Amino acid sequence: MTYRIDSLSTATRTLLLALPLAFPLYGCGDDTPADSAETNADTTGDGDGDGDGDGDGDGDGDGDGDSDTAPDPDFPLCSCDQFEGACVEVSADDEEGLQIAANSLEDDTTLVLGLGTFELDNQVTIRANGITVCGQGMGVEGSFDSGTSLDFASQATQSNGLDVVGDNFRVMDLAIVDAKKDGLRIEDSDGVTIQRVRATWRLEGDSSNGSYGLYPVKVSHVLIEDSAAYNSSDAGIYVGQCQHAIVRNNIAKQNVAGIEIENTQFADVYGNLAEDNTGGLLIFDLPGNPVIGRDIHIHDNMVINNNRPNFAPGGTVKAIPAGTGTFAMASRRVEINNNTYANNGTSDVAILSGLVIEGDPEAWALSMAELVGDNTGLELPTNGDTVYSYRTNNIYIHDNNHSGSGTNPYLSTMDQEFGLLLAIVYGQDLPIDQILYDTVEESSFSPSDAMMNSNDNHICIGTNAGGSFASINIEPLSMNGGTVDDLFRPEAPYAPFNCNDLTGGPIIAPDME
Amino acid sequence: MRAAKPTRGLLGALGLTGAIITGCGDSGGDDQATSADTTSDSGSGSSDESAGTDTETETDTGTETGDELCPSQGVDLDSPPPQLLSELCLVRWTGDQLEYEDNVFAYDLNTVLFSDFALKDRAIYIPPGETASYVDNGVIDFPVGTVILKSFMFPADMREPELDIDLIETRLLIRYPNEWKGYPYIWDHELGDAVLTVQGEVRPIDFIGPDGIERTATYLVPQKNQCLECHEVKDELDETVVVPIGPRPRYLNRESHVVPGTNQMTVFTDAGWLTGVPAIDELPKAWDHRSLANTPVDQMDYATITTAARDYLDINCSYCHNPRGVNGISSQLFLNWDNEDLFHLGYCKKPGSAGKGGENREFDIVPGDAEASILVYRTETLDLGSMMPLIGRSLAHEDGTELLRAWIDGLPPDDCQEPPEP
Repeated sequence: MTYRIDSLSTATRTLLLALPLAFPLYGCGDDTPADSAETNADTTGDGDGDGDGDGDGDGDGDGDGDSDTAPDPDFPLCSCDQFEGACVEVSADDEEGLQIAANSLEDDTTLVLGLGTFELDNQVTIRANGITVCGQGMGVEGSFDSGTSLDFASQATQSNGLDVVGDNFRVMDLAIVDAKKDGLRIEDSDGVTIQRVRATWRLEGDSSNGSYGLYPVKVSHVLIEDSAAYNSSDAGIYVGQCQHAIVRNNIAKQNVAGIEIENTQFADVYGNLAEDNTGGLLIFDLPGNPVIGRDIHIHDNMVINNNRPNFAPGGTVKAIPAGTGTFAMASRRVEINNNTYANNGTSDVAILSGLVIEGDPEAWALSMAELVGDNTGLELPTNGDTVYSYRTNNIYIHDNNHSGSGTNPYLSTMDQEFGLLLAIVYGQDLPIDQILYDTVEESSFSPSDAMMNSNDNHICIGTNAGGSFASINIEPLSMNGGTVDDLFRPEAPYAPFNCNDLTGGPIIAPDME
Repeated sequence: MRAAKPTRGLLGALGLTGAIITGCGDSGGDDQATSADTTSDSGSGSSDESAGTDTETETDTGTETGDELCPSQGVDLDSPPPQLLSELCLVRWTGDQLEYEDNVFAYDLNTVLFSDFALKDRAIYIPPGETASYVDNGVIDFPVGTVILKSFMFPADMREPELDIDLIETRLLIRYPNEWKGYPYIWDHELGDAVLTVQGEVRPIDFIGPDGIERTATYLVPQKNQCLECHEVKDELDETVVVPIGPRPRYLNRESHVVPGTNQMTVFTDAGWLTGVPAIDELPKAWDHRSLANTPVDQMDYATITTAARDYLDINCSYCHNPRGVNGISSQLFLNWDNEDLFHLGYCKKPGSAGKGGENREFDIVPGDAEASILVYRTETLDLGSMMPLIGRSLAHEDGTELLRAWIDGLPPDDCQEPPEP
């Protein structure tokens, strides 16, 4: 399937509208008569209130779903009625109550946050298992007082927004605004569900914004869906060092990196919109990290208009050229298909060795003993008991749709060397080819003779509507400069890159059980 | 450094602590002068008031008052911790000093965590009859029921650390049968007690620093759950567990301020609760940061600078930045004092997910070039979002960062551009 921009945002709205329906359906068994009595009045109040705005104010949600439930005006979408077991409701004006509740949670408790804004001077910290946190809607971007907002604008300490360590954690229907560090950080946990959570910062393009919007790190079994991230100074949605991840139907806008899948194993990433970031949707490993990324499936996403000047204050992300659609870097077993790439000024899809950002192979060295996760079947460079994670191989790119990209590679600065290189090499011969491969570690390269090009790394380029392919002998090119004549720019079917599979079988889907 | 020689109580402790902090405040001649002042202050101030009273009176007070107000001492392991600290019968605040009850043992550490210049008072409660075991290069193995108390206070003027003290909080780390748990108690001076405050607090605190400069800390009393940010590690089974940080032999191995002239490890052994301690001269010993008062960084030889910097990093950073640190492992930067792997120590190492913390610097440590090192930037900056440590610091610790700079600048230079020789 292919989305248009409009249809995706419509789809997301629709999901929001459906929420009030969904909750009572699975949540509410028994309602007291008293609750029912309140229903009508509250429903009216609900519709008037601008709190949830698009979310549940309209007739759709209230009409059916609320008819037999009893929404408190402060808890119109989510309330303790919907949950079995221990549950705490906190009103939005009770910041201290929220902090007391968060620090007092026993395992398997639900924490319900009321309609409105919590103005917080410190992070909300959760350290328990089986916790559910729900609010009254994530609101829409540009509004910072709709639904339930955790607002950290007055945060006086260096901390995250919502900071969680705990298995079987679920968070939904709230916004996290202006966190000093990361918006939602969930670390070292197993079983995480993030639904309809918006992480955002008020100022657009501000390098002092927090780093990551939605950030599960070292998490097993994570689902992020129908959520959104805006204006982070690093990555909006950052799945880092995770195993088994589904990232679907999210929106990432105005971040340096929209969506990053980093050092992660078994990820299914689809139905997302990455728009107006510096780089749209990135897959990579960082050097020295013991989780070696693998089996990443990127499909049916919209990656468009990612031309935002890089406003990262520093770090690896500073190297992302404006105009980047997707990087697959220091990655293996990645399939990128049926995505829509449009109007990314530099390049839609670049396949890069990790050595492009860190040229010292030893920086990528890992001992066999320290590796985490499932590394069977990976073709990794080894030396005795040492494994190196810089190599990019076993990549399959096909059936994507490309339009309007590669025509404005001039937004890179000295920090974005790859972007500069492309701008120099292509010169006036734009557009830049939509799919690029750096040929690092290939045994042979020729700009003119297809037979003289090796495909040792098993890079497979299928048919991509509107997209052309080029391989770049990046080492001499970056040393000596060159022109498009120094590139290998075959016609489809791009032999020797015309394979159509992954070595070792198809992508292994995340196992969410 | 013998300021508190005759004393046993808090004033003695403060005298010592004040000298340290004074030493940490700035470099140069002022330090020595200030340190000397502090010494004489606490010498004259504390010895008169508490010298005679503490050793004898404390015991009396403990028993007499204890019988009336404290039917039982210590933690009820089957109940939630009490709302009021006094219910544990471990410590009282007299208005200018903390007084510990029987079975509570005050101690100091050789090198301490910087916490916005707060003065700290440390003590351990061991249930009577229980014993703790010495652990080499590790945290002492404490018995169930142990309570570690750490109190944070700000004198109005750090140059007179025993005067006008604002006692902020007392943090407890309690040894339950299966785990340690941390709890913050904030002192309510109208109530005359400290109140369990799981939500913590962010509080601006004005004080005059040891260098005479007025400062305002945005002081963080951590939430109960924020205790874990520093106290969590992975154990041998890869399970996340809470552990104490300070009470390791190499930090405890110093003269006691309670029993002057005697090593703390000996005091604990003599008290009957610490077993298995090797001969004192065989114990590991971390750098004593109080030596800064007499020997500022610019007068230290490089070998001492190296030891001091590594111990400073160990106590200030390695609770996360070690191979078992839950919150530091993803950085792959390991600053524990015994890490000998130069890459993981940060040499020419690019940060993992440093976020905004890297500024425009490329490597955690550029040997020979502190100014180019991310580690220096993050320990010096006050930018929320880039600071290290993650929590507990809102001000710069000039003495500490000066030490780190001296160490890095003195390393054999490497511009980190060439791969190392194989």
